[in-house]
Amino acid sequence: MRYTATIHVRPKPEVRDPQGDAIRSALGSLGLGVASVRTGKEIVVTFDAADESAARVAADTMGRELLANPVVEDFRVELSAT
Amino acid sequence: MVRVAILRFPGTWSERDFAHALEVAGAETEILWHDDARLAGFDAAIVPGGFAYGDYVRAGAIARLSPAVAELRRFADEGGAVLGSCNGFQILCEAGLLPGALTRNVGLEFRCDWVRMRVESDATPFTRGLRGDLVRMPIAHGEGCWTADEATIDRVERDGLVAFRYVDERGAATPDANPNGSANNIAGLRNEAGNVVGLMPHPERCAEEVLGGVDGLRVLNSLVTSLGTSPALAVR
Repeated sequence: MRYTATIHVRPKPEVRDPQGDAIRSALGSLGLGVASVRTGKEIVVTFDAADESAARVAADTMGRELLANPVVEDFRVELSAT
Repeated sequence: MVRVAILRFPGTWSERDFAHALEVAGAETEILWHDDARLAGFDAAIVPGGFAYGDYVRAGAIARLSPAVAELRRFADEGGAVLGSCNGFQILCEAGLLPGALTRNVGLEFRCDWVRMRVESDATPFTRGLRGDLVRMPIAHGEGCWTADEATIDRVERDGLVAFRYVDERGAATPDANPNGSANNIAGLRNEAGNVVGLMPHPERCAEEVLGGVDGLRVLNSLVTSLGTSPALAVR
């Protein structure tokens, strides 16, 4: 089966996000005052796996071993069969 | 003669500067390409600055998975002296050889400047006899904000793992002296054993008067002297 995993990576809540702060300030320049902005990224990976549980294990490994740094980032996986 | 290996990844940019500066310090150097790096027979290994593997994903994240870093981990476990500067420090943290992580500078600016630091620990071959000294070195980085959870920050302070701290000309660790927002003005760390050291500044770029300072040479001289006089530190 072919699966698509969307892996969302975000700085942990207690970690500063200077990019988010810069966006907040830029939104202020647009007249859109906001309380806070947190940034992150999403990585979309398409791959083959025997079944959904194997696909989830693989996607979690990708997040843990490469895509997120557990010291400062959290990640979340959305998985779908394609 | 002390033999120092300098690792070179695709995107490393400071390896020849390190080779030159280490030769000024009296070491014999060899630059090793990442896919066939063998550290047996070397006394020390340097992970220089640059953008290893383009720093895609995160600074140092892909380098962590390379065979050269597996070899570096073996070398460090056996007590070999390892120094990571700038991107090398980022790689050592990503590899778990040093605690914490280096994140985007507060303010988002890439900082290319001179900084002042106090040497906080002399329990490393790179800082023998330098504890308490103020040193000036160049920096050039966008992701040098050292960050960790509170327990880790407490541990590095309590166990004396802070090797270098950003300070002002009077030796005070002020926010203005901190170029990137690092926790507790931490500029460099050592591991528990003291054989692994990482720092954001570039000792190799201040090893001759013509470059504006020689404080980097003091770090490299310390390595040559430490390994030359205490062979127990050297991996043969």
